[in-house]
Amino acid sequence: MFDFEILVQDAQEILGAVPFTLLMAFMIFIFSAILGSLFALVEHQRVPVLREFVFAYKVAFKGIPMVIVIFLSYYGLPPVIQFLASLIGVKFNGHATPNWVILVIAVTACIAAFQAEVVKGALNSFDTGQADAARSLGYTSGQLFRRVLFPQVVIAAIPDLTNSIMVIMKALSLGFAIEVVDIFAQSQLTAALNFYYLEAFVIAVVIYMVIAYAVTQAADRMERALRVWI
Amino acid sequence: MDIPAMIPELMSALPLTLAITFTALIVGFCLALIAATLRIRRLPVISIFADLYVSYARSVPVVLQLFVAFYGLPLLVALLGAPDFFSPTVAAMVGLSLYHGGYLSEVIRPAYLAVDRGQHDAADSLGYTFRQKMTRIVGPQAVHIALPGYGNSLIYLTHNVALVMYIGAADVMATAHLIMERSYNQYQFETYLVLAVIYSLMCLVAWLIVRLFELRSPMYAPQAKQLKQVAMPSV
Repeated sequence: MFDFEILVQDAQEILGAVPFTLLMAFMIFIFSAILGSLFALVEHQRVPVLREFVFAYKVAFKGIPMVIVIFLSYYGLPPVIQFLASLIGVKFNGHATPNWVILVIAVTACIAAFQAEVVKGALNSFDTGQADAARSLGYTSGQLFRRVLFPQVVIAAIPDLTNSIMVIMKALSLGFAIEVVDIFAQSQLTAALNFYYLEAFVIAVVIYMVIAYAVTQAADRMERALRVWI
Repeated sequence: MDIPAMIPELMSALPLTLAITFTALIVGFCLALIAATLRIRRLPVISIFADLYVSYARSVPVVLQLFVAFYGLPLLVALLGAPDFFSPTVAAMVGLSLYHGGYLSEVIRPAYLAVDRGQHDAADSLGYTFRQKMTRIVGPQAVHIALPGYGNSLIYLTHNVALVMYIGAADVMATAHLIMERSYNQYQFETYLVLAVIYSLMCLVAWLIVRLFELRSPMYAPQAKQLKQVAMPSV
């Protein structure tokens, strides 16, 4: 029925996939945060044409399930990459793109739509009176951003950014559809070898919950440490 | 590959998809109410189980939850002594209900807590029973606050139903895969585009329904703290 000796054995194998999963998650987090910040900036500054584009982007990527986005980029990206490479005169076989790169691009595209919301919310929480005060003291825009706006906005965004790290971790589990081996895919592979499916999946569940707990705790600590004025 | 010919076949799988969605909606809602109540009330031992359940539903990928249900259910059913009552569809229903319940409880709980404490006190001082308080004062306000979050969770549920294919339930995605394989995997991109449109339409319908409720919600709750709603996908 439920074999506890298998658990220990499986755990070692599945834990081996954790570093790569975390690495991918980290990459996606950085890229999507940058892309999302750009989107949020476009919306915040009300840039005329780009604003409509960002809106359309958000509607599209929030409405379509992530599996489908992943599959679409799996089949659609290689020709696109090849075409773009040929435009700038580089001979590049787009179909040789590693699957994990495609997964990273697809998930980044999805998450960026949500990250834009996070950054926008954080920007809105910023008190404009402080900007006025800084301006009246003769701060330049760069100084205003570096010394006043950025430190506050980052702290306001920490809980939602933590949330998005967890979402990215989970989103990577869909990578098994295009043969990227993360924690979930590794547990499937392990189970396929010894037929103890439930055991392998229980291990994966525990790993995910532990990671979630660790990330949340770390973020809470960081927020408390950085939040100086309360 | 002509897309018009594909659509009726995909549509034939829609009832099963919708059946799974509605089961998860209803059972998930009941689970969410129970979990949220336990987490607010803090009963000694049971509340810990509720905490564990909610963190399971929220921190574990939905595909994994589906697989756990798929491989764990036979074990559970065998323990109860009913060996044949089991299919991928049932596993999908159970898995998604558990997921939706856990996710939704974290929409309901903050919404309940966001209702101003003074409203409770006022109701208590007027001698309202718990039930009267819930149906007349706290409930409507909490519903009003919870509706946007509920809309999100409904859309995520619709998205995540696309994953039940992996445990072998014959939903729209699975049918699309059948169609693709029949045409020797030549038109995957086009098929997935059609799927994307179908799912977008389903989400649009879900969103419109919630929007309707939001607009018709008679409750105007200025005192209630407005929750910060940052939508995050649930995978």
